[in-house]
Amino acid sequence: MEEIKAYIETGILELYVLGDVTPDEKLQVEAMALKHPAIKAELDAIERSMELYAQENAIEPAENLRSRILGSTLTNLGDDNNFTAAPSHQESDSYDDEDNVTALPVRTGNNFYKYAFAASVALLIASTIALLSVYNRLQDTNGQLLSLQLQNQHFTNRVNLMNRELSVFRDPSFKLLKLQGTAKNPTMAVTLAFSAAKKKVMIDMSNVKLPQNDKDHQYQLWALVGGKPVDLGVFDATKDSTDMKEMKSIALADAFAVTLEPKGGSINPTMDQMMVLGKF
Amino acid sequence: MSKKHKISLSEDELILSLRNREKIAIEALYDMYSASLYGVISRIVIDTAIAEDVLQEAFVKIWHSFSSYSTEKGRLFTWMVNIARNLAIDKIRSKDFKNQNKNQEIENNVTSIDEQRNTAYKPELVGVKDLVQTLKPEQKSIIDLIYFKGYTHVEAADELGIPLGTIKTRLRMGIQQLRKHFN
Repeated sequence: MEEIKAYIETGILELYVLGDVTPDEKLQVEAMALKHPAIKAELDAIERSMELYAQENAIEPAENLRSRILGSTLTNLGDDNNFTAAPSHQESDSYDDEDNVTALPVRTGNNFYKYAFAASVALLIASTIALLSVYNRLQDTNGQLLSLQLQNQHFTNRVNLMNRELSVFRDPSFKLLKLQGTAKNPTMAVTLAFSAAKKKVMIDMSNVKLPQNDKDHQYQLWALVGGKPVDLGVFDATKDSTDMKEMKSIALADAFAVTLEPKGGSINPTMDQMMVLGKF
Repeated sequence: MSKKHKISLSEDELILSLRNREKIAIEALYDMYSASLYGVISRIVIDTAIAEDVLQEAFVKIWHSFSSYSTEKGRLFTWMVNIARNLAIDKIRSKDFKNQNKNQEIENNVTSIDEQRNTAYKPELVGVKDLVQTLKPEQKSIIDLIYFKGYTHVEAADELGIPLGTIKTRLRMGIQQLRKHFN
């Protein structure tokens, strides 16, 4: 009897009723209860008091829940293996009965706007980044396009120039004349093309071998007609000129000469500044 | 609100008709015990909608696994309340529920805190007042933690910072008080 009393005093029976025992302890309590009526009576008393305590703390569920729950148990009647989850909560269930259940405010609306806002911000950031990268690429492409255009123009110019040169060289009426340096300047040379029929004189600027003139002086081309010099215009000797430069027109010439003159040219050639001379 | 007539049976009659799978049995079961079970569930699961779902799951489980209940093991309500409490605890410990709780909106906290602290007016709790006077606060807090919040006595000892032996003693003394009170 003492042993039973001690067992009751441990408080295991209370924990058993509260469902707070291990499976082993559970079996042990159940075995003890079967063996000793005193323990069974003690258990029963504890259970009754807890049941009444639960009743004192009872909360009446919403009215509409009764039919829902009874419905869900009865529809599954006869199918003991069916332990599927209960139907999810219905939005349409009303809480406006004056019972103890207080409905929390619906949260979905709030959440929707929050997520929508977050999504919009994310989209905005993504779009901005995309736009920036596209803009940068566009800038790059524009730069490349510009440099390609420049290059293209450069080539077009060169092709045009060469066409002109070619057309001059192909034209049988043009004669090429190499003006050689005078005794003072043996390394100098100027090549020109002359067409008596077309009355054209052109200097092949890419082949001008003259020292670069300063900004106060220019080279002047002369034609000698019957021993008299005729002015055919001025030109500059620069390193990078490639053109065929057309000079003033003349139909007849015995010889050509180039002198260095003050800028703009002179009426009569300065003979001691004669650089090159060439005769037919 | 008119309380509809509720079906009430003696525990023996109820158990018999539940064994026979009679329709009236589940109705009587609901009318007699739904409020007591819901009282336990809704103290563990604060959200009304989820608590209602748990109550429903509890009744479905009670109905389907009734064959595993035997009167030798104790009273019907003890068996049922353990089922309900375990379902409620499973629910709040489930991943879904934890995530949902983390995401609780600030603007909704006012009402949920009211709910959590039971400051919302609950007329059915009015009768509990005199009961509170029969239980010492330290006894009541232990009983409520284990019975209504689903703590184990080990967790309750941790929570309250009290030795395990003291928890057991106070629990036993508290339930003794309740027994005296209800007699």
